[in-house]
Amino acid sequence: MDILLSIPFLIFMPLVASILLISPLFANNEIVVRRFAKGVCVLHFLYSILMLACFDSANPYVSEIHFFGLDWVQSLGVKFIFKLDSVSLILSVLASFVFMIASLASKFNIRKSHKFYYSMFLLLQSAILGIFTSADMFVFFLFWELELIPAYFLIGNNWKETSDEECKKAQNSAVKFVLFTFLGSMFMLLGILLLHYYNYVSNGILSASFSDIVDTTIPVSIQYLIAVCLLIGFGVKLPIIPLHSWLPDAHTNAPTPVSMVLAGILLKTGAYGIFRFNYETLPDSFSFIAPVLAVFALINIIFTAFVAYAQTDIKRIVAYSSISNMGLVLLGLCAFNKIGLCASVFHMAAHALVTCGLFMVAGIVYLRCKNRDINTLQGIAAVMPRLFGFAVLIVLASIGIPGFAPFISEILTVIGAMSSDLSDLLKMCAVFALPVLILSSCYMLKFLHNGFFGETPEAYEKVNDITVHEFLVLASVLAGLVIFGIFPDTILGLLK
Amino acid sequence: MLNDIFNILLPQMCILGFIILQLILSMLISPRYYRYARLVSVIGISLSIILLSAVQTEPQYFAFKNSLMSDCYTSLFHFLILVCGFFAALLTRNLVKTIKGRAYTFHVILLTAIFGAMNIVSANDFVTLFVSIELLSFSTYFLIASAKGYHSKEASFKYLLTSAVSSGVFLFGVSYMYGITGSVNLSDIYEIISSREPSVMYSIASILIILGLISKLAVFPFANWIIDVYKGCESSILAFLSTVPKLALFGIVCRLMVFPLGAGFELTFVIALLSLLTAFWANTYAVRENNVKVIFACSASANASYALLAASLVSVYNLSTVIFYLMCYVFMNIAVFAFLNIYGDKKPLSVNDFKGIFYNNHGLTGAYALAVIALAGFPITSGFIAKIYLFSAIANSGLIFVPFLLALLILTVAALYYYLKILIPLFKECDKNTEMCALKPVFSQKFVLVIMVAAILIMGIFPERFIELCRFIAYNI
Repeated sequence: MDILLSIPFLIFMPLVASILLISPLFANNEIVVRRFAKGVCVLHFLYSILMLACFDSANPYVSEIHFFGLDWVQSLGVKFIFKLDSVSLILSVLASFVFMIASLASKFNIRKSHKFYYSMFLLLQSAILGIFTSADMFVFFLFWELELIPAYFLIGNNWKETSDEECKKAQNSAVKFVLFTFLGSMFMLLGILLLHYYNYVSNGILSASFSDIVDTTIPVSIQYLIAVCLLIGFGVKLPIIPLHSWLPDAHTNAPTPVSMVLAGILLKTGAYGIFRFNYETLPDSFSFIAPVLAVFALINIIFTAFVAYAQTDIKRIVAYSSISNMGLVLLGLCAFNKIGLCASVFHMAAHALVTCGLFMVAGIVYLRCKNRDINTLQGIAAVMPRLFGFAVLIVLASIGIPGFAPFISEILTVIGAMSSDLSDLLKMCAVFALPVLILSSCYMLKFLHNGFFGETPEAYEKVNDITVHEFLVLASVLAGLVIFGIFPDTILGLLK
Repeated sequence: MLNDIFNILLPQMCILGFIILQLILSMLISPRYYRYARLVSVIGISLSIILLSAVQTEPQYFAFKNSLMSDCYTSLFHFLILVCGFFAALLTRNLVKTIKGRAYTFHVILLTAIFGAMNIVSANDFVTLFVSIELLSFSTYFLIASAKGYHSKEASFKYLLTSAVSSGVFLFGVSYMYGITGSVNLSDIYEIISSREPSVMYSIASILIILGLISKLAVFPFANWIIDVYKGCESSILAFLSTVPKLALFGIVCRLMVFPLGAGFELTFVIALLSLLTAFWANTYAVRENNVKVIFACSASANASYALLAASLVSVYNLSTVIFYLMCYVFMNIAVFAFLNIYGDKKPLSVNDFKGIFYNNHGLTGAYALAVIALAGFPITSGFIAKIYLFSAIANSGLIFVPFLLALLILTVAALYYYLKILIPLFKECDKNTEMCALKPVFSQKFVLVIMVAAILIMGIFPERFIELCRFIAYNI
């Protein structure tokens, strides 16, 4: 069985498919291209499920790639090494799932350059899986940078027959996204280089693997410097409040499936980075920084909840709600204990599902009504009853109704932060975070109420309800939410 | 003397022989056969690359009363210079077509520049160094001016003036150095300096010498010329100009920093500061620009400053990173200018001229985009590895230089912005039938582009062998 389960296959399968798609050999036929891409995504998901089923947390999957018998950059001690422990595995499976449903959702949202679109889409999948599985800092950084190229095209290119103005907007937000992330990753690079060097100086090991880094011998002031540099890098992706301004633009102007991927998975790479670098590799400095970071997390939760309430564009509401939810993920990590970590990972999964569902709903509404403004949108519940049903359930899930996954993770996060023994500041944050969650029901219900109820205008009377593809996406999201809500041990059991 | 020639000077002599051959041909052959000028140059350079294997490198060899030397370090730089010269010569097809009758003279100058560049790297005393630099400089004045039109002449003249000033600064420094040590020979100077306490005079002299040299790399106080020169220059000459002089001058600057001048902290500090200012100037200047060639001028200046910062923090490890960086950098640059050469030099080349060119020719534009992505330092290209390796050198030089590194890293974000400015229009949609989009590459241009892209990808994916080579050379200097 072991021979079948290889991490390189998991990572590079989308990459190979992507290269195949862009090559001139592949037929330039919309249907063939789409079916091929969907097939790859579904196969990939099944494969990742297989890996999950055979996973044994006592000995995680590890694999190393050699280049002609050499390490990748031997002079720097950089090895092309991958490792799947329980957190990586959960996130990889989640990524695979999100990409699968996003590929299903692409059908009606992408109208041209199919070859290029699906090629970039699969390349992004490869890069993100690389981030989640790499066990070496420089390889992590490689995939972190690689992901920018497809993400730029996916956000900024003109995939529909849209007006010039919208095209320009999308492009500007793509440039903003790339520049913000690149700025963050430059700080991160500084952190990585310093960590690599001081680990070498104080421990004598020329290696960039996470497992080879011993933080206790590195001078404390340098540890803080490194930790802050890394946090700025991940804070752009997560995003932490002052660094968030790229997110609403990018999420709003990207096509629906890309928004799903961005909010569902791309933001999680930031949280994963904080977990892998700060939480796991530099625990000393993190235990000092965590209470301060928890305050930032609280600001994330409160501030963006208010901002989301003020928005009128459906996609912007969902985008701001993602920032708010990522604040919860960060709070869970800051608790710096087992419960907090479990809650954090669980919330990443739950939020990925919720946000995919919400973006899908927003996308469907926009596709039918050409309108995303909740002030002018009304009465679509009457013409699209099935969509309405899904929308109600997903919105209820997102505000934390028991029986759905976010309920469990929100409760766990607060418990984790309460039981943290780092500082009283964390407990304060937890105390404030819980009532603030009510705010999410304010903006979410406003979105539901304004958008769906009321009298149906004439223009909307002829719109169709959801198609099979859209039904599949929404149903699988909902199934995930219910399963994890009722059997949380599916994920939590792995983390024990 | 004959012994010296056979031991280390064969490649240079081969180039010299072909210079003479071209001179004779220019007198004998009718201008109708101008096409063969390129062929003769290419054959000459390839022959010289083959002859490099005959050069004695182990142990170091000193020739002509210690005025020239040879070791693996010089051999590697000779190899890189010749390779870049080879590809630049291949790209001169369009230029030669416009100047027809003067084609042979043009190639004489090109080969002379290569000859000068090779001698700069292997020079072992200041007089030889100065003569070689002037040989390279004078050739480049003519090369820049060889394209038709007013701009090239203006560019050439501006370069001449700046170059003359910097040569003056260099000579001033050399005269101080002679005053302190009583010698112009690098080995002698090193011996004398290392046996003495460093003095203020010595610091001033070394700073002036390095300053005179690096102004040819477009470093801050003498940086402005690069904009005009790139604006007025033909792309095949830019492929030459952005690689060969850079290699030659980095070759000698790195060696001077390690050996005769590498003693003082003042020198390190001044150079580091200047390179930071250069990076700041170049990256912020290019953000406002729309002319592609000007953007590449700024990028050339900025990239030189990154490498110079690493080189100024003298250590063997840093030297290896600088060599690797240069190795990666020259190939990206040639790829970029090969594409511009295919595109043609008639227009001023604003970034928007390239609108939608991707949909016209996927392969070529993809290659160009890859080269620009490599310059911006994105992964799976050599630019990514080169940048990480170079920055690791600065990070390893102590906490004092962390602010320097941080400033450089933030400036690379500005750099990304102007690279994006070049990249974005390529993928925009436009009318397919506009005349601007027509790309008609000939074999030699496609050949250069393909080889360069292959080099970028190979060095990006399998960097270890190349880094090992650089380390070997840096440790054996």
